[in-house]
Amino acid sequence: MKYKNLNNYAFPDKEGRFGEFGGKYVSETLITALEELEKVYAKVKKDKSFQEEVIKDLNDFVGRPSPLYFAERWTKKLGGAKIYLKREDLNHTGAHKINNTVGQVLLAKKMGKKRVIAETGAGQHGVATATVAARHGLECIIFMGEEDIERQALNVYRMKLLGAEVCSVDSGTKTLKDAMNEAMRDWVTNVEDTHYIIGSVAGPHPYPEIVRDFNSIVGKELKIQSKKEFGKYPDIIVACVGGGSNAMGIFHPFIKETKTKLVGVEAGGSGVKSGKHAAPLSDGKVGVLHGMKTYLMQDKNGQILSTHSVSAGLDYPGVGPEHAYLRDIGRVEYQSATDQQALKSFHDLTKTEGIMPALETSHALAYVNKIAPKLSKSKTIVINLSGRGDKDMFTVAKEDGMTL
Amino acid sequence: MTRLEKVFNQNETKNKVLVTYTVAGDPNLGSSKKILKDLIASGADILEIGVPFSDPMSEGPVIQKAHERALKKNIQFKDILNLCKQIRIENKNVPIVLMGYMNSFLSLKNKLAKELNQAGVDGVIVVDLPYDESKSFFNNLKKENIDLIRLISPTTDSKRLKRMLASSSGYLYYVSLKGITGAELKNFNEVKNKVKKIKSLTNLPVVVGFGIKDAPTAKKMASFSDGIVVGTKIIDFIEKKSTPKISNFTKSLKKAIN
Ligand SMILES: Cc1ncc(COP(=O)(O)O)c(C=O)c1O
Repeated sequence: MKYKNLNNYAFPDKEGRFGEFGGKYVSETLITALEELEKVYAKVKKDKSFQEEVIKDLNDFVGRPSPLYFAERWTKKLGGAKIYLKREDLNHTGAHKINNTVGQVLLAKKMGKKRVIAETGAGQHGVATATVAARHGLECIIFMGEEDIERQALNVYRMKLLGAEVCSVDSGTKTLKDAMNEAMRDWVTNVEDTHYIIGSVAGPHPYPEIVRDFNSIVGKELKIQSKKEFGKYPDIIVACVGGGSNAMGIFHPFIKETKTKLVGVEAGGSGVKSGKHAAPLSDGKVGVLHGMKTYLMQDKNGQILSTHSVSAGLDYPGVGPEHAYLRDIGRVEYQSATDQQALKSFHDLTKTEGIMPALETSHALAYVNKIAPKLSKSKTIVINLSGRGDKDMFTVAKEDGMTL
Repeated sequence: MTRLEKVFNQNETKNKVLVTYTVAGDPNLGSSKKILKDLIASGADILEIGVPFSDPMSEGPVIQKAHERALKKNIQFKDILNLCKQIRIENKNVPIVLMGYMNSFLSLKNKLAKELNQAGVDGVIVVDLPYDESKSFFNNLKKENIDLIRLISPTTDSKRLKRMLASSSGYLYYVSLKGITGAELKNFNEVKNKVKKIKSLTNLPVVVGFGIKDAPTAKKMASFSDGIVVGTKIIDFIEKKSTPKISNFTKSLKKAIN
């Protein structure tokens, strides 16, 4: 299927779907909570004072707008297209994740919830949630897979300092998907006083829409910044895709601007052919998990496969339903980068630009590393630099054979 | 009359129905079959058989581990269908209801209803398929006379309940608490009022499940419903390698509810 005209692109539809994807595949107990969230969100979406409150926090608390930075030395080194970085790493707490939590915590308050919960992989979403919970004085529980607690120890401590309780999840594969299962179990038990702050454009409707909207500030800013910086929209925008929130945030305002090519980069792990990866859009099948119909890594019996990626934040067997749709209609191209390619790009950017990217982000960099030299110097590429790499020190050191 | 209708029709004589839940292939296929046969022999009226899934989001720790044990034995959907067939060959009357998650059922694609029918399955419960998403699934099952058993929860309001009842069959499963399987059941009166409310709106039988772990609770729950579901406690015996105790426990429940 190839898209023809995107002028009327307006998803999700009334059923919470993006084409066949999305929906609300949850237990009956959660339906009421989702319907309430849907109603309240529809209201605040049009509520000027609410939106102003969000913008105020994004400016004064998060430090927006984030700069559009010309990576001059890296551009020269690669010798092709001009490369710009949208600096989400400079946000308070160090990643794009806070754009979403700043909005969702205000939603939670609007609904009168006293307690927020979240799942986290890399710990960035957990930290971003714990941060806004501290700022608003809400009780906060973060679910995190045992394996991720180990590889993201710094973020675990940050969350604790912020007053959050970090619950170790030791079921299943002990990573992000299992943390999400456990968060769902908590939510169904405490649904009356608890808001679940999902950290990506995943989960049941209306989450993919809410998380996309709060993150789309990134793409909106880029529209203005790119016009100012180089007089047009970028030729190519590249972002890494785990659940897909940083990518959707920067892509969404450009969906109808079809001259701008959009590329999402999934975690190729040891290589897509090896089967050890986290790239459901490259090598997955349609199914249902965590409340949504989307592409999933699964076997022929519908069991979800364990994933592999050097970056905890991309180590997820599913992907947001809007990405699944954009893939099928051909509006966004999805590629993958391996662990090794990502690690190399991590070092490259650190050394040539003095910017240490998150390992998640490094996957997007790896793709640009491959294509930029082949493009003419008149082309511009913007990468969503979704987060900074401080949290990954231990992983990088280990990969490099060092102990800290 | 379907097997499910027959079981509940005996209910005219005020016999309450005992529904048991175990996971297919837990702790392995052979034992799982033996446990199912023992359950029938000791009074189970309906067998709910869990389809093991890698991500059982609505289950508490005990049932999660049962899913994991079964998956370690590499249980395939076809093994589960075979298990149902074998039970059906030996027992023509006991209704079999498969309970699981949407992604497992999707894996059989458009062959699902036919395969279930051929295996002697009577109904399906899909934990993460709420009414809103279930229309085509419901219709496909109907073609092969498989009932889609609806879960109703404490948070289901009456408007929604009425819509759901319009496309329900078999029986209704009232989830007694907000939470996961194996949680603590605290508020009996709330359950009672809700079940009464449901029964005032439909002729379909209503069974109560989640949090029933002993005979006294079972007795109370059965006093205002058409039957009860017990799962975690049975699986607890399996986890503790005391499967021989399952029969006596089942008998005690059956006695308590009638
Ligand atoms: C810096 C960074 N980038 C990207 C991701 C992946 O998430 P998403 O695909 O939702 O942007 C994460 C997740 O933890 C992250 O921390």
